[in-house]
Amino acid sequence: MNLKKIDVNINGKDYCLEVEENLRLIDLLRDKLHLTGTKEGCGEGECGACTVIMDGEIVNSCLVLAFQADKCRIITIEGIEDEIIKNSFIEEGAVQCGFCTPGMVLAAKSLLDKNLNPNEEEIREAISGNLCRCTGYNKIVSAIKKAASIKRGGDSE
Amino acid sequence: MEAIKPKSLEEVLEYKYKYKNDAKIIAGGTDLIIKIRKGEENPKVILDISTIQELKGIRETLEYIDIGSATTFTKISECILLNKNLKGLKDAAKSVGSPQIRNRGTVGGNICNASPAADTVPPLLALDSILVLERKGRKREVYLKDFFKDKGRVDLGEDEILTRIKFKNLLKNQGLGFYKLGLRRALAISRLSFAVFLEIDEMNRIEIIRIASGAIGRFPMREYELEEYLTGRIINEDTLKEAESLLERIIFERLKGRQTAKFKSIAAKGVFKKALLNALYLCKGVNEFEKN
Repeated sequence: MNLKKIDVNINGKDYCLEVEENLRLIDLLRDKLHLTGTKEGCGEGECGACTVIMDGEIVNSCLVLAFQADKCRIITIEGIEDEIIKNSFIEEGAVQCGFCTPGMVLAAKSLLDKNLNPNEEEIREAISGNLCRCTGYNKIVSAIKKAASIKRGGDSE
Repeated sequence: MEAIKPKSLEEVLEYKYKYKNDAKIIAGGTDLIIKIRKGEENPKVILDISTIQELKGIRETLEYIDIGSATTFTKISECILLNKNLKGLKDAAKSVGSPQIRNRGTVGGNICNASPAADTVPPLLALDSILVLERKGRKREVYLKDFFKDKGRVDLGEDEILTRIKFKNLLKNQGLGFYKLGLRRALAISRLSFAVFLEIDEMNRIEIIRIASGAIGRFPMREYELEEYLTGRIINEDTLKEAESLLERIIFERLKGRQTAKFKSIAAKGVFKKALLNALYLCKGVNEFEKN
């Protein structure tokens, strides 16, 4: 297997890396860079546990090959400094086992970056690519509503 | 496996010419990476076109709306160039997978993988889209309806790639409707879908109709018999009933011997009707049937 040289910015830091040609982005993040906040669930794009933000959009890092991320900007859960979303998740009890949480937070972040006043349907749509087997989703939806409300400058609902 | 990230379309065509069928195109990767990991595909070379600007984006030319093959489903569903009469295409793009999949998956991949359940193919068929296929030093065009040869097999040369998809923009009295039946809301693979292109006159007489189905055959296809029946007729309850029973017979015949034949032939009626009424609504601005 040949190695491929890539330049990639992860969480604001520039990396120049040599990667195996069939290496997935999730493997690069977890195994090479030890950014283990990104989880692997299904490995086929169904569960969203491996969600990262790539050039501003959420993607499944299990469905991106590392060499495809050459010259891209990646944000993982480790790079999220948004305390409002994180605290809302904690306060609303939106975290149980925690496996889906990094993906959920990134999906929420991606939504709230574009829309600070999402309705319930828009919130559910935004997290529709992320499975949670603990919470039944309601607490996650409440957490995102709360984060949106705080970001709009209001109090928590 | 050798992974190559060409910088321009010209470079892609050069590599494709060099490696022919040994080189597999990767764009969104939402299908190919799974297949490679399952061992179903084992390409010697993969060519990444996901960042080739010439293959991305939607533009309007004098005659056509023209979509680059590496345009993502998200970009299609959000494109302001696609006006409201083309809602069926946006609805189909929006119905693909999940936000994560739509941010990566491309319309070109949807077409070239030739899955029977490809969501954006029925609307593009109903629009009578033309595909632009390019190889080093040569370009040709084929109608999408002639592109599928069998399940997973398309009319694409060993050194050729799909570069653009184009169709005529719609007029005021034309509309494109889409409806899909899936198992759950997000990430549902189409169990059944219909797209209907409709042009009507003031009397609700059908001037032109093009109907395409998804997931009821070896690949998405036009439903010519139904189109022929409906052309020239005035849309009313009787016409719809007749059309539905004709469709039920066509689908049952096509799927004969399969377990799903009965279910799909009955479900198809409702899905088709919804797609047609969606198209009618776009032509008229009101839905006359829902009012009754």
